[in-house]
Amino acid sequence: MAPLADDKKPIKEAKHVTIDVGDGAAIPKREDVGLFTAWRVAFFGAIAIIVYLAVFRPDPYLAIMKFVPDGILVTFEVTVLSIILALVIGLFTGLGRIAKNPLINGIASLYVEVIRGIPLLVQLFYIYFALGRLIQMPPLPSAVLAMGICYGAYMGEIFRAGIQSIPKGQTEAARSLGMTQSQSMYHVILPQAFKTILPPVGNEFVALLKDSSLVSILAVADLLRRGREFAAESFNYFETYTVVALVYLIITLFLSKLISIMEEKISAG
Amino acid sequence: MQDNQRRKMVEMKGVVKFFGSLRALDRVSLDVYDGEKVVIIGPSGSGKSTLLRSINKLEEIDGGSIIVDGHEITDPKTNINKVREEVGMVFQQFNVFPHKTVLENLTLAQIVVRKRSRHDSEKIAKDLLAKVGILEKAKEYPTKLSGGQQQRVAIARALAMQPKLMLFDEPTSALDPEMIGEVLDVMVKLAKEGITMIVVTHEMGFAREVSDRVIFMDEGRILEEGSPEHFFKNPTHDRAKQFMRQIL
Repeated sequence: MAPLADDKKPIKEAKHVTIDVGDGAAIPKREDVGLFTAWRVAFFGAIAIIVYLAVFRPDPYLAIMKFVPDGILVTFEVTVLSIILALVIGLFTGLGRIAKNPLINGIASLYVEVIRGIPLLVQLFYIYFALGRLIQMPPLPSAVLAMGICYGAYMGEIFRAGIQSIPKGQTEAARSLGMTQSQSMYHVILPQAFKTILPPVGNEFVALLKDSSLVSILAVADLLRRGREFAAESFNYFETYTVVALVYLIITLFLSKLISIMEEKISAG
Repeated sequence: MQDNQRRKMVEMKGVVKFFGSLRALDRVSLDVYDGEKVVIIGPSGSGKSTLLRSINKLEEIDGGSIIVDGHEITDPKTNINKVREEVGMVFQQFNVFPHKTVLENLTLAQIVVRKRSRHDSEKIAKDLLAKVGILEKAKEYPTKLSGGQQQRVAIARALAMQPKLMLFDEPTSALDPEMIGEVLDVMVKLAKEGITMIVVTHEMGFAREVSDRVIFMDEGRILEEGSPEHFFKNPTHDRAKQFMRQIL
């Protein structure tokens, strides 16, 4: 019997550990010296490599760099439109998830569970090809719709957590002054939740920007798609995808930095 | 009694409230008349805060009826927001709005709920801030203020709606001792202006100075009521005697 008890011991003593990985590029904080340095090395390194290649290896790199920037704009267009849609869906989903009405709550929860259980790529195919048999939509709106619906589910959870982080006394104070539930949400709770919500929303933005490369399979001429087109014609696969990867890296690192600065400003003031 | 001719501001009949299996309010009946100052005392967990919070429906009761200013708030057809416009509440934890300036804390509900113009509500707000002695903090954010100042903002915020009834839920319990006086002073001033007040507090000095009636609660019931002097001199129930010994 004694060995059995021994076996159980480590399980009992196992501590609950939270591992925070995040799904965007790692956001550098000043306290995290290692990551901060890595950010510098990666960001300035990527820029240096791009400059080096453009200056000393203009053929084919300069040609690639002239060809792909159109795609950067499309990538941003898809990302910004999708995040706006995701924010709208996320707000209503978050409100639905905290609603007392069991039907509304049930619908919001079901949406979150279903969407988070299906890969984004499958959702893209589903909306563009499968639903395309019912409603024909051009690639770009299909892509934005799919990404917005997918990220809306994640955004909903961020909104829910943000709203629930505001002390109950705030709602009680607002309601005791005669405000309706929506007035108290709009004037008192959401403005305060906004501070908590902003950093994770920034994270989602970076994650969405990276995931937006998936839309290239719907023939949306984003950064990756432009790279594919160039590579297919010139057979410079290595060179083209090197540039594409470096451009994605520079954009996401830059945005991550921007978010961390924003986050510091918010927590300071 | 001449009380019977006076208008009832609050009329509670057989109010029952459960938290799980705990009976927080056990068939409580209480009438509060227009202009009256009632102080509720009792040990923690006696149901006094629950009683207060049920008057503006922050707690939904499980039985009995409550009529506030002529509106039966237990009736689902009653628009509770309309009733709450007339019932100000001050909380133990102040609950000022941290994202709004002191002035905006006072104008928000006036503009949104009372539909007053910004100009009018700012005028009312400034008068009230002067009255509670913090007009010079109008442009500050409440997080920069001391607890006593925040609570005075909270009182002024409730008064800005020009309510008929004010509820105070242990307004000084979360304050450092040196700040209790400044909040009580404001409440005494307010009481002398004639507004109806129901105050949950252990500040017996305040009770003696302004209250018409003291109510002692224990285990969800009103055990005893009387003048402040009655409680100072000779409360009837053993529980009330014991409690008075503890807080004095």
